[in-house]
Amino acid sequence: MEEFTNIFVGEETVKADSKIIYDIAIIGAGPGGLTAGIYAGRSRLKTLIFERLSPGGQIAVSDQVDNYPGFPEGISGKELTDRMEKQAVRFGAEIVPDEVRKIKKEGNLFELETASSGIVKSKAVIIATGADPVKLPVPEEEKFRGRGISYCATCDAAFFKDKTVAVVGGGDTAIADAIYLTKFAKEVIVVHRRDQLRAVKALQEEAFENPKIKFQWNSVSEHVIGENKVEGLEVKNVKTGEKVLLKVDGIFVAIGTVPNSNIVKGLVELNEKGFIKTNQNRETSVKGLFAVGDVRDTPLRQVVTAAGDGAIAEFSAENYIKNLEYIER
Amino acid sequence: MEKLLKEKDEKYIKDLFSSKLESEVELVLFLQSEGGDKVTKFNSQYLPYTEEILKELVSLSDKLTLTVYKDDKEKEEEYGVEQISALFVEGKNTNKNVIYYGIPSGHEFSSLLEDIIDASRGTTELSDKTKAELKRITSPTEILVFVTPTCPYCPRAVRTAHQMAMENNNIKGVMIEANEFPEWSQKYSVYAVPKVVINDNVQFEGALPEDAYLENVLKGAGKIILE
Repeated sequence: MEEFTNIFVGEETVKADSKIIYDIAIIGAGPGGLTAGIYAGRSRLKTLIFERLSPGGQIAVSDQVDNYPGFPEGISGKELTDRMEKQAVRFGAEIVPDEVRKIKKEGNLFELETASSGIVKSKAVIIATGADPVKLPVPEEEKFRGRGISYCATCDAAFFKDKTVAVVGGGDTAIADAIYLTKFAKEVIVVHRRDQLRAVKALQEEAFENPKIKFQWNSVSEHVIGENKVEGLEVKNVKTGEKVLLKVDGIFVAIGTVPNSNIVKGLVELNEKGFIKTNQNRETSVKGLFAVGDVRDTPLRQVVTAAGDGAIAEFSAENYIKNLEYIER
Repeated sequence: MEKLLKEKDEKYIKDLFSSKLESEVELVLFLQSEGGDKVTKFNSQYLPYTEEILKELVSLSDKLTLTVYKDDKEKEEEYGVEQISALFVEGKNTNKNVIYYGIPSGHEFSSLLEDIIDASRGTTELSDKTKAELKRITSPTEILVFVTPTCPYCPRAVRTAHQMAMENNNIKGVMIEANEFPEWSQKYSVYAVPKVVINDNVQFEGALPEDAYLENVLKGAGKIILE
């Protein structure tokens, strides 16, 4: 009940102005983009942050964040990013609810083609578009997406009250989702392709102690079974080849992410998985174009690393703009 | 009941309303007593909270009023109330067509704030292209948006439906809090949110950008999109 009477008051959004030249355009209002926004605002740069969905990014759907410093009791992902959003707005960053579809560099200016604000111009751009969940690799994914297959536990858990659900994956997100789902479901089966979890030990301990969570080890998803909605998940044991049908009503998927780097494909250098390559200044292969957070080629994707990226990228972007103005003079 | 709005949020909303609101907006809330024909074990516990949130909200601006109709069959009929609680945002550009079924809490509270501002100013921030296309809808069109309060992707889907309703009063924009209306949700096989259903014949899941959303609404309304 309390879960549903919590009130979130978001920050006011604005429209982008296609007649002016912004100093920094940030694409994506997750922790990386918002941190860059805080720094840019404090430097009194004219700053826009585009957000196509809802400020906060992927972490906004995490029930509990325990590894961001400064919150000894932990904090919900939404509360944490709400605070970042307020902080960015406080220093003057403007959040625009719009989608950037294409980025072009004309001379020293970037032109961003947007879904509803027209062409927006800026001197520097920070890509903070994050990543999306990898789809469940079964032939029936499309048929059952939204009919029992879900990629957002906090959004959809309530539809599985007193039901049995599977969580596919063994990392932090999967195990945190499994723990959250036990608030609603009567049983949660974690389906993982190895015989041990990748999630941080603290989460593992919590999951192993929870009597509602069961584990299906060494197993990969093969098929989703059902008429009009999910009724079962067929998994195969990778060691024995044995197939098992798990009778579940819902399948929550957390098996990694794919970078949202489409808007810069062909413009900047990407790694083989599509993540954006940067140098230590978070600058991409295009001068004046920076990348931060989950979309970046980086060994660790966490709120704290995205925030660090945001600070460095803003610092670099600011230097880039100063240099640009110096040359123009 | 303990206050639902935090002090710092109240201050923020007060400032927001005093700088943004122009003409008056009436929030019309429909409730029923225990035993009412639309009260179930699913929605009953939310009703007092829904009333409380709205009471606290309207106290933050003298341009806002709250009208509560409790067990009022006549008024329910006049507004076309399908479930309880029902909330109508009545302002410059609405006509009983910007609707919330169930509690506007969690992430949806922001939708309500933005709706109030739009209804007070009589404007929306939909693109000019969308506004022009919406004019072509001349028959009643209903956009149902199923949500949960814990879904951060849902407010955008609700707001788009409500903004479209404000631009064209043939359109009804309806938020449905899925937890409170499991039968309604089951009728449309809602297992993930946001889920949008237009005129019972077009549906999609997930948050779509404005242009793709519009295309679905035009399809649902039986209009072919003009390029």
